[in-house]
Amino acid sequence: MSEITRKGWVVPVLLLVLVFAVAPFTLAQFGKGYFFQVANLVLIFSLLAVSLHLVTGVAGLLHLGHAAFYGIGAYVAALMGTDLKLGFLWGLPAAGLVAALFALVVALPTMRLVSIYFAVATLAIGQMINTVLLNWVAVTKGPNGVMLFSGIKLFGFAVKGPLAVYFVVAVVVVASIWVLHRLSHSYYGNALRSLREDDQCADAMGIDTVRLKIEVFTLSAFFAGLAGALWAYTTGYVSPGDFNFSNSILILAMVVVGGLGSLPGAIVGAVLLILLPEVLRGLGDLRNVMVGLVMFVSILFLPKGLFGEVSALAFVRRNLGVKWGAAPSEREVGWR
Amino acid sequence: MTVTRRTLVGIALVAPLSFVGTAFAADPIKIGYQLPLTGNTAQYGQDFKTAAEIALDRFNASGKLPVKVEIVYEDSRSDAKEGVAIARKFVDDEKIVGVLGDFTSGVSMAAAQVYKEAGMPQLSQTASHPDYAKISEWQFRNITTQAGEGPYNADWMVSKGLKKVAVIAEQTDWGQSVTKYFSDELTAKGGTVVMTEYFNRGTPDFRSLLAKIERAKPDAIYTGFFYEDGANFLKQMKQLGYAVPVFSTSAAHNQKLIELAGPDAEGLSLTTNFLPNSPKPEVKSFVEAWVKARGAEPGQFPAQAFDAVNIMLDAIVKTYPKTTRASVRDALAATKDFPGVTGVTTFGPDREPVKQLSKVRVVGGVFSPVAE
Repeated sequence: MSEITRKGWVVPVLLLVLVFAVAPFTLAQFGKGYFFQVANLVLIFSLLAVSLHLVTGVAGLLHLGHAAFYGIGAYVAALMGTDLKLGFLWGLPAAGLVAALFALVVALPTMRLVSIYFAVATLAIGQMINTVLLNWVAVTKGPNGVMLFSGIKLFGFAVKGPLAVYFVVAVVVVASIWVLHRLSHSYYGNALRSLREDDQCADAMGIDTVRLKIEVFTLSAFFAGLAGALWAYTTGYVSPGDFNFSNSILILAMVVVGGLGSLPGAIVGAVLLILLPEVLRGLGDLRNVMVGLVMFVSILFLPKGLFGEVSALAFVRRNLGVKWGAAPSEREVGWR
Repeated sequence: MTVTRRTLVGIALVAPLSFVGTAFAADPIKIGYQLPLTGNTAQYGQDFKTAAEIALDRFNASGKLPVKVEIVYEDSRSDAKEGVAIARKFVDDEKIVGVLGDFTSGVSMAAAQVYKEAGMPQLSQTASHPDYAKISEWQFRNITTQAGEGPYNADWMVSKGLKKVAVIAEQTDWGQSVTKYFSDELTAKGGTVVMTEYFNRGTPDFRSLLAKIERAKPDAIYTGFFYEDGANFLKQMKQLGYAVPVFSTSAAHNQKLIELAGPDAEGLSLTTNFLPNSPKPEVKSFVEAWVKARGAEPGQFPAQAFDAVNIMLDAIVKTYPKTTRASVRDALAATKDFPGVTGVTTFGPDREPVKQLSKVRVVGGVFSPVAE
């Protein structure tokens, strides 16, 4: 048992050290804003991918409109910052809550749909929200976008410089991913998986599948909203084009390439699909083809993703959560 | 992304070649150029790159500076994520003293936040958002905004007795400014806007919009579209047998419009500040070089990019050898009567270009200057 406890601490600590010490220290060594920008993007898209992982990977609902909730979050944060003069501390939670509220409202009628019908419904929702962002000029400023000059202020202190901004983004993202990790690696997560495997069977077992779907859809939108607020504050300018269908597909690709149903996989996918196009800049026009090629080959040879669900679950069990040791039958089941 | 096996093999063979290094010259001065070389708007970015290469080759051959100037091209895919990352990258490179681009206002403005913070002069050849140049003293543009073009067109139409006008434009920041500035002037000159309508870029079917316009019974239609939508619009208008004069902005001034719409483009009137058939020597030599590179006549946008690059190079010459980001900015701000292919350019105190506009009409498949 003590051995397991020790092991259970090593990896989370290593990950925290990586995100909060090694990465910023290395980036600061280079002293370049560019690397911080890419690091922020990686973090924001990791959060987006992990929040989509909960819906698409764990609950098995093909969600084609995730970027729309990301957009709602970004717009709420940006508009609150400019029109209402409410800063980051208000904008961040509000972005998540408003995105979640929208998700709840659209989830109520759509969650009874299954498989491809659900996917098409989310596609439509994503397009609708994007069209509203583009055309509701009076509120969203339409295609002009919103410029957010104020920057991040925490308790009266302005967060200045790339390192400080990186830390703010990292704290929000890591905390959110930790929550999503606990959600997807718990009995709750197992209920979601049962939904994915056979929702009729889950229904028969007494699981309220519709309610579960609505909850998970809303929760995922909440975290997408947070990611949106982070994007708005790190960029300073949002416009509808940043939250269109191709961004939904990009996030979905991260989840799939990383390994459908695998939380570490979603992060790996986000890191890969953000870093790869940047690393390949030297290839010029060919880089998009190379990114496509990498995705193609990885799906061809690793159809379960770079970090498939089974190995990811084993990894998470071994390193991030302690097994329920002494169940009556002496078999290890469930999650802490 | 559709990739065939043959292209994959081709890429696998060619990819390593692109890593083969470029030669090093003695401390070149660098300019960054962020533009969409791939993605939905790649055709524009590729045009800008060709224009910039023509301008740069000539400049380096002219020997105006003892050192070489280089342009670093970065592909933004018209994506704000990439645009901002590129902006940081350019700012990090101390040899870069000025930046050109981006293509769309959205990406230009997202990147502008970085340039503003870091103090890097940014000159966009096309960003037409009304607030772009207001972001900070570091933003410049080489495109006449609709604040100049809209009223000019309104006056033109009123002078021809076309007072009841239907206004349509694409649903972008630019389209918004097209309708706003035009409508304000038209109303001030005693005309009426009988309807205003926006369409999304890439709309395949304008028929319902056209029916709506027909019901409003305007004397003429004022349009804010680019050549792709313009060609579709004009074709479908002809198919419906609807004939009223159509006026447009310099954004539709593209040879491809005539290629796509064919005879249906006849009679389209628009303003421009670039006339490829102008007898001016600078225009002639640019058009010659362009035709050599591309095999067709250049439109308005490549000409604007060509001028933007030359204006930036001119600012660098003026500041040399004390070329810094700040001095280049000041030199840009002081640009006065720069003789470009898109006319004589002066930057106002608001860092907006002041340019001369010309009226053209499609007659016999060519954009022909008209004096009205």
